[in-house]
Amino acid sequence: MDPIEVTGLTKEYGDVRANDDVSFSVERGEVFGFLGPNGAGKSTTIRLLLGLIAPTAGTARVLGADVHDEAALIEAKGRIGYLPAELGFPPNVTGESVLEYHASIKGDDRLDELLEIFTPPIERPIREYSTGNKRMLGLIQAFMHDPELVIMDEPTAGLDPLKQEGFNGFVRDERDRGMTIFLSSHVLSEVRRVCDRVGIIRAGQLVELEEIETLLDQGGKRIRVTTTEEATKALSALDGVVDIQPFPDGIQFIYTGGYNALLRELARHDIQEIEIGEPPLEDIFIHYYGRREPSSETGGDPDV
Amino acid sequence: MLSAAIGLYSGFIIWYFTVLEGVAIEDVFEELPPALLDAFGVQDLATIEGFLGAQIYNFVWLLGLGLYFAYVAGGTIASDIESERMDLLLSFPISRARLIAEKCLALFVPLLVVNAAGGAAIYTLALLIGEPIDATHLLLVHLLSIPYLMVCIGIGLVCSVVADRAAIAERVAVGFVFVLFLVESVVGGAEEYDWIQYLSPTHYYDPTPILLDGTYELIDSAILLVAFVGLLLLSQILFQRRDV
Repeated sequence: MDPIEVTGLTKEYGDVRANDDVSFSVERGEVFGFLGPNGAGKSTTIRLLLGLIAPTAGTARVLGADVHDEAALIEAKGRIGYLPAELGFPPNVTGESVLEYHASIKGDDRLDELLEIFTPPIERPIREYSTGNKRMLGLIQAFMHDPELVIMDEPTAGLDPLKQEGFNGFVRDERDRGMTIFLSSHVLSEVRRVCDRVGIIRAGQLVELEEIETLLDQGGKRIRVTTTEEATKALSALDGVVDIQPFPDGIQFIYTGGYNALLRELARHDIQEIEIGEPPLEDIFIHYYGRREPSSETGGDPDV
Repeated sequence: MLSAAIGLYSGFIIWYFTVLEGVAIEDVFEELPPALLDAFGVQDLATIEGFLGAQIYNFVWLLGLGLYFAYVAGGTIASDIESERMDLLLSFPISRARLIAEKCLALFVPLLVVNAAGGAAIYTLALLIGEPIDATHLLLVHLLSIPYLMVCIGIGLVCSVVADRAAIAERVAVGFVFVLFLVESVVGGAEEYDWIQYLSPTHYYDPTPILLDGTYELIDSAILLVAFVGLLLLSQILFQRRDV
């Protein structure tokens, strides 16, 4: 039995379908990335998995426990670690007492080891914590009882790049030890470094379920070049250039071809500035599906 | 903090009693309508017991602490949901019913402390001014206030699991206990509607007679305890059914 099995999971808030018939499963010992723009319904799925909210239709099983069955789910929760997107630690207590409290309920087999990787100032009260420090404290509590399955909602939000690398290495090691990890993110580059498989959710619907390599091949790069008009024309004509957006003194586009062809073309022209980066997830969606996602424009917030 | 504030207030009231000695205080109150006298438990003001019953127990214990515990209980679950702390709490391997029961138990600590500290302070102060109070009666007043305050906690808990925001849960809980207090006082006089007074928890705890001559009905406390258990169960059921 897979650690997470989701079948036809649906959650409605009035007219908004935060999750619409979502089905997927996460296999034992893999890192599964749950990718989607803000407001796509990622947190809703996670909260459904933990029984925080009840599905309108469909169901899910976590470590064999049906989310409708409170007793079974409670038993399973002892073997689950959870990092919520918003960490509401009580502001007036120290990180140390937060961890002591968590230890008293879940156990702390791996606490010392984790405190060496993630280094929040545990002797200080939570109100003095930065977002990154809170996140690190959250990561420690999620892993401290050596769970079988860890569910994380935007785990690297607020972490500095160095800590983020530390986190990536840690997650890969845990996977190699056999832990199953489910994490959500709205940043493709974050997911690509650690995940084996990725599910993409958009407006509450699971639109793609891919091996990470496939996704990366299709994802492309966002290139932004400040250059001459002539170079702009030549670049636009290259193979693998899509979603071209000209701006004064240059263009921006998504490039899905090989680097060498692009660099050869660039070398022929006078380039003042170039920026190669990860395309925002929404741009990849536009590339794939050709239209903007409705929920991200109306500013609705089904990401609850 | 709460105990200290109540201690200070008690000190003031007891000092005030010594000042009033010799003044025909009952004459002052004779002018007032009987419903009002009833509402504030005014009875035998010339004795220390009657005076304390009206000024401290009816005012602080029945109304003040009743509102306070309803307010604090109203904030428990709702504030955890509002601050998103509930997400983590519910990821623990414990049931929602147990979570509420433990939150409720945590409120019993201040409940017991304020009664113990308040009772000791009042007893000592009364002794100091040379007007000793019957220790058994005093003990009973405090002991029997506990079921009453538990019902206030129960009302707060129910509001807390229903509301989405802590501020709303707290206000509704306070408002509810206050309205019940008023209803009992006002309706007590009107025969046609006197059944309504039985809905109010204040009807089942009357500190002044207990303090004056130790009269109380055990059935009243039993009713309060049953009401508390009912409210606790109701809050557990409602919490189990709600999304957080």
